[in-house]
Amino acid sequence: MGTTSRYRAATRMSAALSLVALVAACSGNGGATGRGGTDDYPGRNITFVVPFSAGGPTDTVTRMIAEPMAAQLGGKIVVRNVEGAGGTVGAGEVAQAEPDGLTVLMHHIGMSTAPALYEKLGYQPLKDFETVGLVTEVPMTVVGRKDFAPATLADLVAYVKANANKVTLANAGIGAASHLCGLLFQTAVGVKLQEVPYQGTGPALTDLVGGQVDFMCDQTTNTSGQISAGKVKAYAVTTPQRVKSLPDLPTTAEAGLPQLQVSVWHGLYVPAGTPPEVVRKLSEALKVALAEPRVIEQMAKLGTAPVPPEAATPQAHRTKLEEQLGTWAKVIADAGVKAS
Amino acid sequence: MELFDNLALGFSTAFLVQNVLYCFVGVLLGTAVGVLPGIGPTATVAMLLPITFSFEPVTALIMLAGIYYGAQYGGSTTAILINLPGESSAAVTALDGHEMARQGRAGAALAVAAVGSFIAGTVATVALAVAAPPLASVALRFGPADYFSLVLFGLVVSIALARGSTLKALAMIVLGVLLGTVGQDIYTGTPRFVFDQRELYGGIDFVSVAVGMFGVAEILRNLENEQTRATIVSKVTSLWPTGEERRRSVGPILRGTGLGAALGVLPGGGHVLASFTSYAVEKRISKRPREFGHGAIEGVAGPESANNAAAQTSFIPLLTLGLPAHPVMALMVGAFIVHGITPGPNVITDEPALFWGLIASMWIGNVLLLLLNLPLIGIWVRMLRIPYQVLFPMIILFAAIGTYSLSLNAYDVYAIAFFGLLGYVLIKCGCEPAPLLLGFVLGPLLEENLRRALIISRGDPSVFLTRPISAVLLALALVALVITVLPTIKRRREVVFAGEE
Amino acid sequence: MERRRSLPDVLAGGVFVLIGGAFVVGSLGYELGTPLRMGPGAFPLLVGATVAALGLAIVVKGLIAGEVIAFGPIPWRAIAVITLALLFFGFAVRRLGFVPTSAVTALLTTLASSRVRLLTAVAVAAGLTVASTLIFIVGLQMRIPLWGSWLGF
Repeated sequence: MGTTSRYRAATRMSAALSLVALVAACSGNGGATGRGGTDDYPGRNITFVVPFSAGGPTDTVTRMIAEPMAAQLGGKIVVRNVEGAGGTVGAGEVAQAEPDGLTVLMHHIGMSTAPALYEKLGYQPLKDFETVGLVTEVPMTVVGRKDFAPATLADLVAYVKANANKVTLANAGIGAASHLCGLLFQTAVGVKLQEVPYQGTGPALTDLVGGQVDFMCDQTTNTSGQISAGKVKAYAVTTPQRVKSLPDLPTTAEAGLPQLQVSVWHGLYVPAGTPPEVVRKLSEALKVALAEPRVIEQMAKLGTAPVPPEAATPQAHRTKLEEQLGTWAKVIADAGVKAS
Repeated sequence: MELFDNLALGFSTAFLVQNVLYCFVGVLLGTAVGVLPGIGPTATVAMLLPITFSFEPVTALIMLAGIYYGAQYGGSTTAILINLPGESSAAVTALDGHEMARQGRAGAALAVAAVGSFIAGTVATVALAVAAPPLASVALRFGPADYFSLVLFGLVVSIALARGSTLKALAMIVLGVLLGTVGQDIYTGTPRFVFDQRELYGGIDFVSVAVGMFGVAEILRNLENEQTRATIVSKVTSLWPTGEERRRSVGPILRGTGLGAALGVLPGGGHVLASFTSYAVEKRISKRPREFGHGAIEGVAGPESANNAAAQTSFIPLLTLGLPAHPVMALMVGAFIVHGITPGPNVITDEPALFWGLIASMWIGNVLLLLLNLPLIGIWVRMLRIPYQVLFPMIILFAAIGTYSLSLNAYDVYAIAFFGLLGYVLIKCGCEPAPLLLGFVLGPLLEENLRRALIISRGDPSVFLTRPISAVLLALALVALVITVLPTIKRRREVVFAGEE
Repeated sequence: MERRRSLPDVLAGGVFVLIGGAFVVGSLGYELGTPLRMGPGAFPLLVGATVAALGLAIVVKGLIAGEVIAFGPIPWRAIAVITLALLFFGFAVRRLGFVPTSAVTALLTTLASSRVRLLTAVAVAAGLTVASTLIFIVGLQMRIPLWGSWLGF
């Protein structure tokens, strides 16, 4: 990676090294909130809060765009992971941060599902945040165990309808993208299947590869390696376009289940009340970052792509959020799921 | 031979100056953070992970592996020196390791742990290089029913961790399982036993339980008679194991290596079982089972080797299948993704330099760990000379901060106080904390796999007997239970007869 | 054989019965489900009942043929002070900030020893506060404010 993150890593490492020698080194306590005029924004370090663990797909996307955005804004961006309770802990923290544009939240589809999943949510997505812009929409794939009988998506639909009480559908836990996609699949097909929750994608995928469960739906980030190695059977990708890294895999629309449209969309947020000028600056920087060839290339490796420039705007992001909040409120209520 | 070509490629990658250097830095940082009370290996890796993001993929993964080994050894160091395990395997090490430290043999315990880990690491790395793909395919045969039986077997085996009453050990194990149910149910999302406190939704942190039941309870016991504690420190004898101790360690190290290497392959939690299965085995076959729990060197050598072997082979599912076996491996997946490598079965063919380089650097990491830690033993042991009036406040404060730092959750600190008191009372009543800790770690796995197996079998409990792996493990569990309980009954009858004479 | 009544055994068993029983009562408030789809309450109910049963067995054994364990003195002062220190840390660290919380926690803990002199305690607390600030804030870059909002900074 480029100079900014290398510098960040270097300072962090020298600091960690100083611990070994127990020597006090630089104690620059950046990222603390404080008010400043909008003209000199950012003027200090910006903190990108990722409500998931370091190294996860959301964290990866954040780190990809943080560096070019920082270059554009003229400052430093520090990525901070605040994990817990399906991303609601980190989001809640940003909702209460100073609305000065120095604390920015990167969140995914979970922003639109949390109000339906969690009874006591400490924030309201539309009221407590300003949308900055969409970043990427990671496609999802419907995959089955290698020796699962159905060969195509149409076969799969017919098969689960005929064997609804026998088929098992794995997911990575309540509220996980794979869980949501599975719910949508059941709604689209009109069946109720036996769901098998796991704690995280790793174990779920392990049991799918091992043939213990029948099928699941998960992000390309997690599945494309297994698909191209032939360890799982791929049925379809759930976005309007095919994925570059899996050119032979049809879309759900092509394969005859157009209702199954879902992606793990990511967007940037700032606390409500942030000056419009600051939001505009962030959104512009985001647009520039998303056009960087390096970013496009890195995202392609994850099986995704940056959103088109017109989607990296506060308005497009807000429209998406509103639409998704409606969709998931219904799907989740119908399924009777609560993560409380 | 292909293997040698591959290894040559691996070593040519791993021996690049920057790779060796960063592997060393990784081991150093991992050890330094890992010895902090309240910060276990997983937390150490998570904390240091972002440092590696800026390097080349191979360098980053090699450094991360170094951090992982360092963190594990650092954790064992605190377990031996101040009875503060940061993960379940270190809790096993603490049993006899800390007893040895109390007897002035901390140096020997640390040395045996380091050497045992090195031997185990070397053997397991060879196993990884030679047989990774076939081992991985065996691992995939394990389904939820099999894991349930494996965990049940593990729970029965952990009775052996207690030196006293079997009945109390059993009660402690089951209590641990019970406490593991606190938090959100993963199947329904129902928060259980959380008293409406959001901070408890994630369950009780293992480190809080370990710090409370081991660390705080131990401090309270030491403060009962303050005069006796002072004498412990003065009699630190030789830093190195004696000839006899060395001889006694060979068998446990080799058996631990084999056991750990086999269990580590299983992605559903096999590595958790490695160290205490080894402990149970050593205690059972030892001619001096009564020394266990009172500073038997076998109780350090076996589990430490098993743990390190399992740490190596737990890379197998990740490297050959792209499937992480435990949280640290999940973090490694993250590192793969950050560096644009799609984790999956193709890594081995698409990125041979990375795959073999990582394997070669595992061995180098083990060498570096040994080189770093043997000289450090003298320094660690000197830590015990810190007056107790400084040492115990340091342990409490650092443990509170360390535990809090993980998720900034005040309940993790309250939990230390709760488990400190509970542990103190129970220990005073003749119950031992190690079985509870293992029950606590294995309990969630037990419930998860039980319910998952039943969902998949459509509620048919016969799966546990019709699946061959599960049936064998259940039979083993039964045998283990019988041989654990029988001697107790026999002994009691002897006592009864003796009393009648 | 002589009957030995063992108070520690009865106490330990009582603790198990109490905790196991509490979990049993608690788990009855959750859905129990069916064997196919075990609800969130089923497993804790089963395990809680087992703990209580084992506890009862320990009590009975303690009344008939218990283990004779020397109970020893109880360091009431250490128990009170250390518990207080930990609760204080958890409660105050966000409000008072890292430095004052660490200092008070360290000072309280130091007082757990009955042999400690006040001057030593203060010195140890100060040293530990500096060391922990260097290790956790400077070294590990923990994100806790050094001085909290309660102090008006």
